[in-house]
Amino acid sequence: MDSIGNDIVDLNLAKTQSNWQRKGFLEKQFSQKEQHEILNAENPFLKVWLFWSMKEAAYKCYTQKFEARFFAPQKFECSFTSEETGRVVFKGNVFYTTFFFNSFYVHTIARETKEEVNTFSAVGLPNTIDSDLKIKLAVEIGVSSEEIEKRKTGIGAPLFYHREELVTPSCSISHHGNYGAFVFIVANRC
Amino acid sequence: MKKEEIISKLKTIVKPYIQNEEGFKNLNEDTDFINDLEINSANLVDIILDVEDEFKIEIDNDSMEKMLSVKATIEVIQSKMNG
Repeated sequence: MDSIGNDIVDLNLAKTQSNWQRKGFLEKQFSQKEQHEILNAENPFLKVWLFWSMKEAAYKCYTQKFEARFFAPQKFECSFTSEETGRVVFKGNVFYTTFFFNSFYVHTIARETKEEVNTFSAVGLPNTIDSDLKIKLAVEIGVSSEEIEKRKTGIGAPLFYHREELVTPSCSISHHGNYGAFVFIVANRC
Repeated sequence: MKKEEIISKLKTIVKPYIQNEEGFKNLNEDTDFINDLEINSANLVDIILDVEDEFKIEIDNDSMEKMLSVKATIEVIQSKMNG
């Protein structure tokens, strides 16, 4: 089964919470090529967080599959394929990303295939994102949202169940500052 | 450097980034930066850079990969200081 990941960055919070110009910040997390792109970008700050959210979304996709946790952002190599899509390569695995940004946030979704079959996503408030997801999921599978239960895998990835049946084969929830975001794939039910 | 001394220095380092006070109060060897302290993953690099500055060590990428918990961080610090 394909897995899916997502990541949201609150750009206002990123401004105060992190200093991308700090010595070592870029060197430790970005490849030479990415650093070059950042430093030559019209808006280096935005480029930093765009790359970062691509790396995080791909990491969440990868870790669901391999059930491992680690911190190796530099090894997730990003490139852009259009104004709103990119590719992330990690250990020979390719992740296809789509991103959206405005002056408030950056949101990236990463998946293993280019197709968007049965995929649902949204951006909302951090403290209501779980219930937003449940409501959306309930509508999609035609059940009551109160019957949907959230569980976590060993590495902390969220999964949603309806009466003991797994209804999201892959799911990812992200929080940062004033925003929450989710993406999930719905199981094909017969 | 003794483990207790490292933990006490680590507490000072992580404090600005934690989002879970309870987890911070109970910080021990088994504490996980993300699951227990709710540190944003975007701040992990700050912790690594702060550790490098505080302990005057250089952390390579392979060591950095493991630094998600207090225990793993102590191991990296000790191996670099003795290395």
